Amino acid sequence: MPPGADTPEMERHQNSVTRTPLNSVVVQRRSKSKSYRLSYRSCLGATSRLCFTPALTARRLNTSRRAPKSHNITEKVNPEKLALLVKTEWQLSYVSPLYQFRHTQLKSYSRQLSAFIAAEKQQGLAVEVEGPQKTFRVSFSLVQGMAESDDDAETVLIQIHSKPLFARQDEPQRPVWSGWLTCINGNPDYLRSLPKDFICLPLFGSSGAEALTTLVKSWFQQFFDCCFGPLEISHTCLQWLMALWTNCHTESSIQHLKMIWTLPVVPPLQVTYTVNSEDAWELWSSVRKEKEKENKAGEMAKDEEENSIDIEEVTGFMQGLKSHFYRHFRLDLSAGSLDQVSTALGSAKYKGRIKISNSRYMITTLTLLTECALLKMPI
Amino acid sequence: MDTSNKRLIQRLMSRIPIKMLRTTLGKWGRLTEVQLKSMNLTQSKWALTEKLIAICEENELEVKHLTELEMIYIIDNPNQGMWHTFQLMDPEDDAQSVELTQFKEQFKSHIRELVRQVSVKMKKHTDEAVWIRIAWGDAFSRPNHLKPTYVVHHLQTPYVFVTSLTAKQKPLLSQALVLSTRHQAIKDANLSGRKLTAIRDLMMRQYQQVFPTKYPSPLTEHNPTVSNPHIGREQAEPAANRLQMACEAFGGGMLPQLQSAVYKLETKFRDQTNKTMTEREEPFKCVVKFASTNLLESLRNCASSGIASTPVTPLLSSIPLKGRNYFVITDNGPGPSSKTDQPQN
Repeated sequence: MPPGADTPEMERHQNSVTRTPLNSVVVQRRSKSKSYRLSYRSCLGATSRLCFTPALTARRLNTSRRAPKSHNITEKVNPEKLALLVKTEWQLSYVSPLYQFRHTQLKSYSRQLSAFIAAEKQQGLAVEVEGPQKTFRVSFSLVQGMAESDDDAETVLIQIHSKPLFARQDEPQRPVWSGWLTCINGNPDYLRSLPKDFICLPLFGSSGAEALTTLVKSWFQQFFDCCFGPLEISHTCLQWLMALWTNCHTESSIQHLKMIWTLPVVPPLQVTYTVNSEDAWELWSSVRKEKEKENKAGEMAKDEEENSIDIEEVTGFMQGLKSHFYRHFRLDLSAGSLDQVSTALGSAKYKGRIKISNSRYMITTLTLLTECALLKMPI
Repeated sequence: MDTSNKRLIQRLMSRIPIKMLRTTLGKWGRLTEVQLKSMNLTQSKWALTEKLIAICEENELEVKHLTELEMIYIIDNPNQGMWHTFQLMDPEDDAQSVELTQFKEQFKSHIRELVRQVSVKMKKHTDEAVWIRIAWGDAFSRPNHLKPTYVVHHLQTPYVFVTSLTAKQKPLLSQALVLSTRHQAIKDANLSGRKLTAIRDLMMRQYQQVFPTKYPSPLTEHNPTVSNPHIGREQAEPAANRLQMACEAFGGGMLPQLQSAVYKLETKFRDQTNKTMTEREEPFKCVVKFASTNLLESLRNCASSGIASTPVTPLLSSIPLKGRNYFVITDNGPGPSSKTDQPQN
């Protein structure tokens, strides 16, 4: 342990001759996790030195990503598990790396979290709407096959079952809450820099009673010394999702492309802009073609680059949609904020809610969100 | 008292807030002074409902009396549900001379010719509006008093406001209205909203309109935000201009409370930076919906704050000008920027 580590605990204990082992573990953990957070920033900084604005790009989303391929994910992942993940709207959070989380211990985690929830309920700290008799059964399980790269940790699904308050004795328990922790295509440099005691599952989605979400989070915080924070889906990220989903239209119809904007006037004005799927796709491919032309002129078109989407194309697409709007209403959408985007493939809200409706494009969406979660993590 | 009447009372009691109960029942005038006093308003809604059912049984009140109570409440609180506007067209020579008694008789007889099982109740409100309550039945069932249609018509005007009308009932009501008001046709006016008063004011131009003046007198800004006097001076004139133009487009003062406007755009995509799309023949199809607690005030604020460019586009100013909030926009002819809005039907 480094002498004089700068945590408050250390300062408090500096004068004491004996230290309990527990304390030293805590301190060691803190200092370690700190060094990883630093290494995440520095490893991103290293890659961004190739760009012109290294200081800024270190905290930004990738400016280029592979075009989404339709993954036949049902071949890799148990369809029953997959069905639990799609068509539900999830509230997203980021999670810092979990200390000493073991994928082999899921059964014991299930028991411990059940006991934790029961204990908290008896203290009367949590939801009082539900009676004290109510029992919760927690089950942790693996969603194998979701991970894309070797560095990604396997996705973990948590389900909480319970009986309604006035249920008969023989009535089966019903799912009342579910959540998952995942990492899809996480930055390999960062993941490799983590020591083996840490598991990085930075993206947390939950659906169900707020009180249970709070309990699950506090259990994770206590057991794996991690922290949770709200994950908003930024304006840029929403634009990326629009482009990535629209790009899939020929394989799987997007039905429509819907954007919801809020303009800061009194009273606030909400603008819902819904574009016909074919027209959205044609506008998108026209923006893509423009870029291909440029590439050919510069003899840049390599095989791998052809299938990548650049941020310029994403903003070009948005610019096209905005200018069509402006031409009619002479109203500048840029003055407002983009709150929500949706297609038949999924929907995303600025407040951090995501729904994935088609499992084939789930990986693309989760890759983007994993990146957002890693960026949002405090350094 | 049968169960359907009891349900009607329960439904009514659940809609009327406790604090309005005494005045509404007082206006109804079917309860004696003693009975009215016996309704203890500190009791629960459930207890009050039971009490009212008992009183109605005692007074031998029937369906027609109960619907009267409902009408009194709805007329006083019309801003509920979605109101749609229709416009009567091509008046006959004698259309202007239709008076209330004649209209009442004609409407009832026409609608009864079309639907055998129907219950119609009419009431003239103080502001000259005729309120019609229609409970529909069909060949196999008696009129359903739990789902009535309400129609508001100002005699000698072409406007009709309707709420809770199904597609099946629409042609029946239309025909009865056309015949009894001595017109030849009726059309959807493409204006709807939750506040009857607002859409009526918009239709009848009963809001403060601002007209362009040659030497515009700058209207007073309600809450000036500019603090630096130099910047303030420089920006004052364009800001006043924007406000003037915003008020010319949407009106001044308090504006009728409209909740939304919908545009179905089927126009060509034109953008100098995108040749492929501009050269494309087919229109770019999209739907734009504006929504706010007070749409016209939001739009006026957009224009006065500069979020919307001034002068305001005719597309937006058409909402108050034409009294519509549903538009289908198509390109009209080969002209570069000519577009018109065409009604949907």
